[in-house]
Amino acid sequence: MKKFKGIRWTAMLCLVLVISMLTACSAGNTSSTSNSQQEGGESSQAAKNVKLTFFNTSAEVNTVFEDLFKKYHELNPNVTIELIPTPIGGAQIQKFQSLLASGNPATIANLDAGTILQYKDKFLDLEPEKAKYEELTKEGAVEGALLEGKFLGIPWSAQGYGLLYNKRVVEEVIGGPFDPSTIQTRDALEDLFKKIEAAGKAPVMVHGADWSLGAHYLGLTYSLQSDSVDENRKFVDSLMDGSVTLADNPQFNGLIDTFDLLKKYNARKNDPLVADYNKDSADFAKGDAAFYFMGDWTWAVIGTLENRDEEFGLIPVPISNNPEDFGNTQVAYSQPKLFAIDDSGSSAEQQEAAKAFLEWLVTSQEGQEAIVSQMGLALPYKDVKVTSTNVISNAVEQYVDQGKVINIGVINYLPQDYWSMTGASMQKYLSDIIDRNALAGEVQAYWIDQARK
Amino acid sequence: MIKKNFLRNTGTFLVFGGPSIFAFIAVIVIPFFVGMYLTFTNWDVRSADTAFIGLANYIEVFKDKVFLGQLWFTLKYVFFTVLIANGFAFFIALLLTSGGRGEQWLRTGFFTPNLIGGIVLGYLWQTLFSQVLPYMGQKYGWSLFQTSWLTSTNTAFWALVIATAWQLIGYLMIIYIAGFSGVPTDVLEAASIDGASRKATIQKVILPLTIPAIVICVFISLSRSFLTYDINLALTKGGPFASTELATYHIVQKAFLSNQYGVGQAEAVVLFAVVAIIALTQSYLLKRLEVES
Repeated sequence: MKKFKGIRWTAMLCLVLVISMLTACSAGNTSSTSNSQQEGGESSQAAKNVKLTFFNTSAEVNTVFEDLFKKYHELNPNVTIELIPTPIGGAQIQKFQSLLASGNPATIANLDAGTILQYKDKFLDLEPEKAKYEELTKEGAVEGALLEGKFLGIPWSAQGYGLLYNKRVVEEVIGGPFDPSTIQTRDALEDLFKKIEAAGKAPVMVHGADWSLGAHYLGLTYSLQSDSVDENRKFVDSLMDGSVTLADNPQFNGLIDTFDLLKKYNARKNDPLVADYNKDSADFAKGDAAFYFMGDWTWAVIGTLENRDEEFGLIPVPISNNPEDFGNTQVAYSQPKLFAIDDSGSSAEQQEAAKAFLEWLVTSQEGQEAIVSQMGLALPYKDVKVTSTNVISNAVEQYVDQGKVINIGVINYLPQDYWSMTGASMQKYLSDIIDRNALAGEVQAYWIDQARK
Repeated sequence: MIKKNFLRNTGTFLVFGGPSIFAFIAVIVIPFFVGMYLTFTNWDVRSADTAFIGLANYIEVFKDKVFLGQLWFTLKYVFFTVLIANGFAFFIALLLTSGGRGEQWLRTGFFTPNLIGGIVLGYLWQTLFSQVLPYMGQKYGWSLFQTSWLTSTNTAFWALVIATAWQLIGYLMIIYIAGFSGVPTDVLEAASIDGASRKATIQKVILPLTIPAIVICVFISLSRSFLTYDINLALTKGGPFASTELATYHIVQKAFLSNQYGVGQAEAVVLFAVVAIIALTQSYLLKRLEVES
């Protein structure tokens, strides 16, 4: 009989375990929402130790952030920061969404501005901090980070893109120093391409990935309409309601005319979609192609290469033969990633600690050292104590200082799949599967489809 | 006494089967039903309120021509993957049970790809298809490999099939080897005494007697290739121009990139139905071919 009792006990125990764990699962959501108030109330007890989590979509610099967290912990022993890493180019947003949906969001998130806008209700409004950051940052940096007028994310890196050039190759071809301001029209660019080709070099490298073609190249269409983000948003709206046709748009046609030129002189002409980012960047850096449609972020690949050339610069993508047209002397510029602080499951104490940490990150010597020298990014702040080794971002910086930039902020308001959907159409165009009319038709169809949702 | 026995059996069962049942319920059954429920709502991570919208998501699925096209693409992909993987696995298993030298080593070798994760395997084949083969093709003038296989829809399709089949073959081979060892030796001896040729032995003796192994292998390869995601992601990223997106890839894009969770989840349910119908039909049909030795 004793034996039987034992088994019954085990059975009961198993059942209880199963049931309790199941109910725990379903109760997860409700308990976590009250979490913030509870922890807020207990703040006096827990004032000593704060634990923050940091969600990072700049996966290529995970280790740099981790080192910074350690340093900050040494300086502030009561604050511990834990990294929630994401895979490079992988399922980053899925991870973010699942953290949010399970009621366990990260305290600080390093996200694309567009993603922050999508989840704007979940983030802390940083309005009280705005004046301070306006003081700290370069002109226009805070304004460029505003999302529907709200200050939800702290800017910390700026990126620019256009036609990068390999200085040595270009100068060998023209037989003297190259002045980038001589290329302000499509014809001038073509003349230079012809010379480069005649010298036996590939004139330009067009990277065939959808993000490069869809977001960066075709995306310029929306940013080139005017220098005001609001006007550009209106343009996208009129694409959606069909009151503007893309095929008749001068900026779109200008861009595609130039794209035809890039296609013609493309180093990857024979197989344009291979799209191996590392190889394309390396070939450009070693002088196999004179130009490269890309941005300063590619320094992460080419900066450490052996046997590469030393000097690189960038010019805008000319979209017409009139040097006065908007875009012919400006380069695309944005602050792609922002630091946002969670307001859906974090305690007031965590939020305060997060604010203090972020300020330290962008203003301290250690933080700037990490961002500027180790990550090779441009920091849009006034008092930067570290000089960048990133030759390309220094070139972008010159355009910024002269005010010659295209504010591509409109992309923050575009649907998250626009680059992959319209990028696919651009890939078809690049490999001559569709013509310009069909391209305009497909892209326009995408926007009209968006209006339906 | 009957009641006591019943309790005792239940207890024993729960001790040994409980943990697995719990895991199965927690990570398969509950998410499945919650997922089913979500397809009838307009749930979104961003919004707090969730409204019941009936079959609207399912209607959206059948309006999504891209998804239907990709479902067809997936069916073609599964058909060729299952055919190639099982064909190769069967004959490799046959070769490796005929008593040659170094069989153990070869078995290990063929099984290894199955141990490599899909992502790593995808990148490996990506390098092969987009770098190594074009390089060799240009050097030796092989017209088939002059350009990357991953940049045109047709060749990228075959690249996907080859990479998946390569991964599956080793696993299926093990099952076939187990199946062959279940074929009684006296039957084989009888066949050889009767003077049956090698071909006739395979066709008339081995094949009918290994039907259970074939059922399992087809089932496994069907479900695994229907649910391929990692190789698709690493090898082609759905490209060129989104033409090699398998159904699973499209579902993930739909839900997480286009933020249409309901529709994406409804598409997943439709995919589940398709896989279930095909897998159950094949095992029912093949099982009827089973014979006793």
